[in-house]
Amino acid sequence: MAYALVALGFVLALNAAGAVNFAHGDLVVLGGAVAVVTGGWTGLPGPLLLPVVALVLGLAGVIAARVAILPLARRPPEATFVATIALAAIIEQGLTVTLGAAPRTVPAFAGSGAVDVAGFALGRQPLAIVGVGTVLVAAVWFLLERTQTGRRMRAVASDRYMARAVGIPVGRTVVLSLALAGALAGIAGFLLGHQFLVSPSQGGGHMLKAYIAVALGGWGSVPGAAAAALAIGVFETVLATWLGDAWASAVLYIVVLAVLAVRPSGLFGEPAGRRA
Amino acid sequence: MRRFWLVLLILPPLLALAVLPPFGQRLVTLIGIYALLGLGYQLVFGQLGALNLAQGALFGVGAYGAVLTIPSLGDASVLAAPLAAAAIAALVAGPILRLQSHYFALATLALAALVSLIAVNAESLTGGANGLTGFGSASAHGKLLMAVVWIVLIASVLTYARLFSGHLGEGARLLREAPLAAATLGIDGARWRFTAFVTGAAFAGFAGACSASLNGVVSPEVAGFPIMVMCLTSVVVGGVRHPMGAVLGAGLAVCLPELFRGLEAGWLLAYAAATLAVVLWAPQGLAGLIDQPPARAVPVLPEQFVPVRGAQRLTLDRVTKRFGGVDALSDVSLTIERGEVVGLIGPNGSGKTTLLNVISGLECADGGTIVLDGTHLERWPAHLIARTGLGRTFQTPVAEATRAAELARVLQRQPAFLLLDEPAAGAGEGERERLVLLLRKLRDAGHGVLIVDHDIELLAKACDRLVCLDRGVVVAVGRPGEVRQDPKVQASFLGLAA
Repeated sequence: MAYALVALGFVLALNAAGAVNFAHGDLVVLGGAVAVVTGGWTGLPGPLLLPVVALVLGLAGVIAARVAILPLARRPPEATFVATIALAAIIEQGLTVTLGAAPRTVPAFAGSGAVDVAGFALGRQPLAIVGVGTVLVAAVWFLLERTQTGRRMRAVASDRYMARAVGIPVGRTVVLSLALAGALAGIAGFLLGHQFLVSPSQGGGHMLKAYIAVALGGWGSVPGAAAAALAIGVFETVLATWLGDAWASAVLYIVVLAVLAVRPSGLFGEPAGRRA
Repeated sequence: MRRFWLVLLILPPLLALAVLPPFGQRLVTLIGIYALLGLGYQLVFGQLGALNLAQGALFGVGAYGAVLTIPSLGDASVLAAPLAAAAIAALVAGPILRLQSHYFALATLALAALVSLIAVNAESLTGGANGLTGFGSASAHGKLLMAVVWIVLIASVLTYARLFSGHLGEGARLLREAPLAAATLGIDGARWRFTAFVTGAAFAGFAGACSASLNGVVSPEVAGFPIMVMCLTSVVVGGVRHPMGAVLGAGLAVCLPELFRGLEAGWLLAYAAATLAVVLWAPQGLAGLIDQPPARAVPVLPEQFVPVRGAQRLTLDRVTKRFGGVDALSDVSLTIERGEVVGLIGPNGSGKTTLLNVISGLECADGGTIVLDGTHLERWPAHLIARTGLGRTFQTPVAEATRAAELARVLQRQPAFLLLDEPAAGAGEGERERLVLLLRKLRDAGHGVLIVDHDIELLAKACDRLVCLDRGVVVAVGRPGEVRQDPKVQASFLGLAA
């Protein structure tokens, strides 16, 4: 479920920027790191820490948009790729310098231990992840489909020149999308960080998973990305218990290459003129 | 290349041999290795604009390949490494080079992740996380290694500079910025991409082999993503296309951490920030800042036209093209002779540009035949059609200079047949007059011309015949006077049912 949050933020940023945001995975890590620092500092309980992390990472998203995405809107997508790769390296190295390379544990969102649900012992943290994840996915869906702001975001995603022509403030909408993407990434980092720890070098892995989810779920499709991310999570977990972690990842990469070889425009194709 | 760059290129190894201690020589060798890696990367990323994220992994393949073949091949393992990397690149090139930019990046990223996984986990082959050691004495090192690396580098940089200063550089630019126009000028994009990708991989493999020799150990880090990021950022900072870009970038990437040893990871932070700054404010890189790129020669329309040779007749027979359920073209038949100017008119959306696209091979016809003097072209790719002597222009709604350059670009190849898409769109009165004169000259020189335009006055003056399309169907063919009087033509322009 946390993968779904990562992928959701990734696809929002992708649609807004018209290009892949390679720094997205590092925003996830940054979210975990912010949770570590503010959690250790203030001792806030998980549910209160969550909005703090979301706010800080939302700001990071705004900075990413202002620094690496908006100034390059008129250049080929590769320029944005490189700029966000540089941004990713800045975040990673910045964290290494300030926090060190060793993994840290993020405070739990809902306490540790297990609760008994209908005879099954379920961990509190996984339950919290599923709960928060579901609420946020539903909220993003509502925002995009049912509000004027969401309609503007979709309009900018599908054709930014047309959107500008009908009077939508494109720059502001892009910044807003990136802020939302950053907040989602931060929350995902916070939720993942308790179980899987946080270390600066994880960003690439998060980004790759989200990238794969978007490619498999239909380029630019928000529900597709969330569904594909869930599927990847299940696929990896099942395969890892069966074959081990390394093989699970290897099979995932081979599946991606095979899908791209057979369907060069992604599993579900993509609307023409939306290539980034 | 300017003398300044030549000196900069030859100086480091000479300096290292003459004055530097062994540690300094080691750094110079490392610069050479990263520069080779970057130079290979410039072919794919710089020249063709494809974001290949597997270059670091191919570097690793080279390193492992060299080490694993040392026992059987000895010194020749340095040559086996680039072959191994190039072979892997050639193997995957078929499916992944067809991909659009973001999927290409993903596919190369997945490939890199796969290589990295193998390096860590296939312990019997790669030694796992500990890597492979103990081959040091069997491979070139010290001054010999430095000499090999720098001789190859200097030769490669000079070759690169020479190749891309002329036609090849222009072709690459066209392929990068306007792939469709490149195809209609006879450039085979698929072959270019394949060559660049495989050659770039060979460079990465060779660099990897040399780095294995230099370090005396190969571990999974050699195939890791940080190497890829280093390669990408150093090429961007140095200059993505400049012949010295990779060398300059590699020099900075190796020397900066040595200068700022106290800062530990801080230098990486600074380097990443510098990369971002270069992307934002100096897209040509540092080398590009020093060396302003030469002003591009804008093609100029010739004053005189020499008679052209080539095919005599272009015949379309019942050409059909569907988009979804819509018939963009249905059963379009027409013939153009050499020495004839034919105007194609019709309301917006009647299929004029689609017809030009189908003839030039940018879109494939769903039915019918396109024959040039007995040769069927309807299944050919655009670049081969262009080579039979068919040239076309694209709509350029901008300044007169650009429209003229667009025409001149096509005329340089002396094609027997010309397809012109709205060459007068947005043009003023004087330019239209010049266009009519130009069309007459082209006819006198023996070109066959098919011209699309909305200006019927202009077409009436310049054309021998007019063809009117309406919703994909030819509604009238004949002399300009006749076609203009045709009630069906008038109806289609006035929006009445024909």
